[in-house]
Amino acid sequence: MLIKLIGNEIIKIFGKKRSLLGFLALAVLMPLIIWGFSKGATGVEQDFVRQLEGSFIIVGSVFNGFLVTYITMNFLWVHIPFLIMLVAGDVVAGEGASGTFRIILIRKISRFQILIAKLIATYLYTIIFIIFFAIMSLGLGSLWLGVGDLIVLDEGILILPQEMAWGRFALAFLFATYVMIVVATLCFMFSSMVNNGIGPIIGAMSIIIIGLAIANIPIDIFEKISPYIFTSYFDIWQKAFFDPIPWRDIGNDAIVLTSYILVFIIISIVQFIRKDIST
Amino acid sequence: MSEVILSIKNLSKSFGKRKAVDNLSFEIKEGEIFGFLGPNGAGKSTAIRSMLALIKPDEGDIAIFDKSVRKLKNSALEHVGALVERPDFYEYLSARRNLSLLAAMDNVSKKRVEEVLKIVGLADRGDDKVKAFSQGMKQRLGIAQALLSNPKLLILDEPTNGLDPRGMKEVRDLIRKLSQDGITILLSSHILHEVEQVCTSMAIINLGKLIKIGSVHDLLNESDSSITEIKAEPLEKVKKILESLNYISDIAESDGTFKIRIANKDLKHITRELIKADIDVSAIIPRTSLEDYFLSLTGDSI
Repeated sequence: MLIKLIGNEIIKIFGKKRSLLGFLALAVLMPLIIWGFSKGATGVEQDFVRQLEGSFIIVGSVFNGFLVTYITMNFLWVHIPFLIMLVAGDVVAGEGASGTFRIILIRKISRFQILIAKLIATYLYTIIFIIFFAIMSLGLGSLWLGVGDLIVLDEGILILPQEMAWGRFALAFLFATYVMIVVATLCFMFSSMVNNGIGPIIGAMSIIIIGLAIANIPIDIFEKISPYIFTSYFDIWQKAFFDPIPWRDIGNDAIVLTSYILVFIIISIVQFIRKDIST
Repeated sequence: MSEVILSIKNLSKSFGKRKAVDNLSFEIKEGEIFGFLGPNGAGKSTAIRSMLALIKPDEGDIAIFDKSVRKLKNSALEHVGALVERPDFYEYLSARRNLSLLAAMDNVSKKRVEEVLKIVGLADRGDDKVKAFSQGMKQRLGIAQALLSNPKLLILDEPTNGLDPRGMKEVRDLIRKLSQDGITILLSSHILHEVEQVCTSMAIINLGKLIKIGSVHDLLNESDSSITEIKAEPLEKVKKILESLNYISDIAESDGTFKIRIANKDLKHITRELIKADIDVSAIIPRTSLEDYFLSLTGDSI
């Protein structure tokens, strides 16, 4: 039965135009960005070269599909979460707003099953969306700009050879998906509390912006609470490009993110099961 | 003796300080078309939502087929189909797709989707998106989704809302047909005429409380006064006589027909009085209606 319910939810999600907005945005934006890089991004390139030229002799362009993907993955802070929230925020609340709870919750299916089906469908949408993001950035970027060694600037300079970069990107997108699942679950939780599709987006977005501010502004009090806030772990994908890969750190980050996911899910379930359907 | 299909005991539900349903109890027996009557805001929809586990009552028990809705929601609702208030659907999907989604939840075949579309007369519009449907078509689709699981109990909350007279008649005919097919029906309505026409028994509620319950026939007979129509001439003389009779009240004349309110026990006197006064009487028609009865119970609340 759960499989059927998930199928239903997938049909509902992809039947709505708003669910396709994110795909459309990426389908337009990514080629534009890649085209822009192919035409020359002098400012960004100069920044890179300036940091590298003390140690390296740069011949030609440092830009390739890998580097462009690495740069565009910074969309993962705010832009991609927003596009995922468009769906996650509506998946439960939208039924309340449109009154369709009155035709699904009167059937011989428990609310728990319905909510879990919605949650899994939201996760599937999130995964599909990140895969599409990967295709549009890494896939298109590689085809358009070619591939080569990946230069990563973090606390130092790391040059990953081409054959290693593919694996690292696969890992980075996997971590990115996990972070986006936290975002989707947060928004889903708000969605299970209200009966309009906008409130959950505003609620979740506000929390993310505040969380990112706390994680990034170097104030003593913020630095103390930062380890307990999930937005502090939004950069987990970047660790896929460290050498060696800090698996222990990644494991710890994953534990924190998983804890948040579980808390959000439990709150969603309790809210939804107790909720009076009055719309 | 017929089996009790639905039993409500001491149901209460408040929203904030407002008590929407107040200690409501009644039973519906197998085969009945049970009218659930009350003015807007009487608590009908709250009671129905409680029956269907959409809202949780503060107090009381609801059992459907002897299974508690609170404790065994899934099995209690296994043989129940319902249309609650407006028929809302996924407007961006076709009628057929909407029903297919619900059929998957009811674990019934695609064939059943076609059957219910045919029953409600939407088979040829099944591929149209619901957003293109008129209110009447949505209402019929609402009944179709309620029928999907081959229910033994059908709960219809204001199913003729927003329909034109023809649509209303179609829905009423459909309800009668479904009843003949053995489905027990709870019909919630604020349209007295509808309940009077379709239902075999009824409960009247107002301000969340049960006011009256019984068969429609018994309740109508219980009414101690009625509106009676009199067709007689000459009009002026008739009016003068009617006004002189102290057991008559609320005299109104329209298109040569008088409408009067008169106690049932006094009805037999009126003919004698008019004949005695040499009036040409062509008709005296008692029009006892549920509406009169309802108004006598609830005052001017409708």
